Amino acid sequence: MRLQTQMTVNRISDQIWEIPTSEKTGMLVPARIYASEKILTSMDRGVFEQVTNVACLPGIRRYALCMPDGHWGYGFPIGGVAAFDRDTGVISPGGVGYDINCGMRLIRTNLTLADVTPRLEPLMTELFRLVPAGVGSKGFVRLNRTEFDEVMRKGARWCIERGYGWHQDLERIEEQGCIPGADPSTVSDHAVERGINQLGTLGSGNHYLEVQVAADDRIFDRPTAAALGITGHDQIVVMVHCGSRGFGHQVASDYLKVFEKAMRRYGISVQDQQLACAPFRSPEGQEYFTAMNCAANSAFANRQVITHQIREAFSSVFGQPAESLGMDIVYDVAHNIAKVERYPEGDLVVHRKGSTRAFGPGRPELPEIYRTTGQPVICGGSMETGSYLLVGTDQAMRDTFGSTMHGSGRTMSRAQAKRTVRGEQVRQQMARRGIIVKAVSMSGLAEEAGFAYKNISDVVETVETAGITKKVAELRPIGNIKG
Amino acid sequence: MTSAFRFLDDIALADSAFEARGTTLPELFAASAQAVIETMVDPATVAPAVSKTLVRHDRNLPELLFDWLADIVFLKDAEGLVFHEATCTVTEDRAEGEWRLTGTLTGEAIDPRRHDLRADVKAITKHRYAVQQEPDGWIATVVMDI
Repeated sequence: MRLQTQMTVNRISDQIWEIPTSEKTGMLVPARIYASEKILTSMDRGVFEQVTNVACLPGIRRYALCMPDGHWGYGFPIGGVAAFDRDTGVISPGGVGYDINCGMRLIRTNLTLADVTPRLEPLMTELFRLVPAGVGSKGFVRLNRTEFDEVMRKGARWCIERGYGWHQDLERIEEQGCIPGADPSTVSDHAVERGINQLGTLGSGNHYLEVQVAADDRIFDRPTAAALGITGHDQIVVMVHCGSRGFGHQVASDYLKVFEKAMRRYGISVQDQQLACAPFRSPEGQEYFTAMNCAANSAFANRQVITHQIREAFSSVFGQPAESLGMDIVYDVAHNIAKVERYPEGDLVVHRKGSTRAFGPGRPELPEIYRTTGQPVICGGSMETGSYLLVGTDQAMRDTFGSTMHGSGRTMSRAQAKRTVRGEQVRQQMARRGIIVKAVSMSGLAEEAGFAYKNISDVVETVETAGITKKVAELRPIGNIKG
Repeated sequence: MTSAFRFLDDIALADSAFEARGTTLPELFAASAQAVIETMVDPATVAPAVSKTLVRHDRNLPELLFDWLADIVFLKDAEGLVFHEATCTVTEDRAEGEWRLTGTLTGEAIDPRRHDLRADVKAITKHRYAVQQEPDGWIATVVMDI
């Protein structure tokens, strides 16, 4: 087996690979990569370097982990998971990512492919009109600073109070859409200025809004699917992938600078400047944590306002209230975040960067409706392939700090993708396959072509076989909106 | 060495990276800014209707360049501006032990109907970030989060 690293990588099982602490000076715990042999051989060298750098951070527990969709990131690899002791460990913006609470939301409907196909073009046009996307896009919600502070504190709850959603939406969002302890005084004016006009916007890059189909033959666990509101029979669902926009990025940038200086004060040295960190209990660590929670809440609010707009679009095109169309949220997950969670070792600060929480059945954090199924996990594929709905397992709680994959993961650079195909070609190819694409940027569309990503089914099979999540349904795209 | 930039393939799989060069520091700062501008928009489609002049100083030259590039990202989100061109002066104040930048960006408010918009740069990162002096000028390596 030829890997893109000189390090020793030991096979623990067919899906788990371990790099021992002897492979890099300073490693406090081994690094574990979840991957099939095929995926492991395709992983870039950044994954091996970065996951072992993470294993050197103070207070890390058990393992530094990387999920099968892992690839090179800033500081942590994308797909990285690490848990630090709350009292002796660190918090690192590089372990959360720039797009704080970038995440996925899935909305169900009572509509079928037969209902939607004749009106797909006007539906996509209306969605494209109501959900702003692309460079510099602004949302329709106008906020003053006091109101934006409320968004930071209350997240999706603020939206429900303002009429942008239904009360029952909240239990179907991780943390009920509002992480407590968010303190707007820890956020810079710069961050507020970047984010105050962006509520309800999609952004660009790999962010998207997708209309998808749940076909009967792609439901893998019918009882669980039914409990999650997925009935099959060519049911139409809507998936959203976006985060905290410029606001979250500015919070991350601001605190990377703070932590660069703080590390000297606390005598911490790191292998990579992007792993800048501070003790979780330090003033800097606590300030970042509360500022990060402000950004996380704004991301929940962002996806909630987008949900409101999606319901408006469907209601307008199909001439029925969204309630009659059964447009409940299935779930909303964060895949760039740090949280304090309880494990046998005690309270740990679990960083998930390009990784999804995957709590198994029975966890008190789960809403009553999903207490027996396990937490829904939403994983987006490339715009040309399918996406997946999974659920968390007890084994994830034991093995991966209740964490799993988040998407398919890139294998080709943006520049190379653009050299390989033009955006218009991608649009036409997708149209021939029955997928309508509305994109602000044609070059951005080329960058997101399906061939630039790993096959998501390979990634899903790995986490299924490893037992850290269970497949529920595959969802096939028929309409896509990109920035 | 003349002023120029090129995008790098092998550094940032999910994002975008460039190497900028300049015989002088003002050329390096202008070339780096142009790389950030052209990542977000085709500058040929942006009219120089608005001018923003930024004055910054820092004891650390790489930090000065970093903040100058981050300003372009900030102005895109906070003021809704994309740019056509950047010009700079960079001087060293030896008495104060710091570098001083006066940078001017010309552009206009974002209009998706007229501007050929590209990728939304969301952050300038420190990943493999470097500013180096060579015998014939300056080189910067910058990775942008997309």
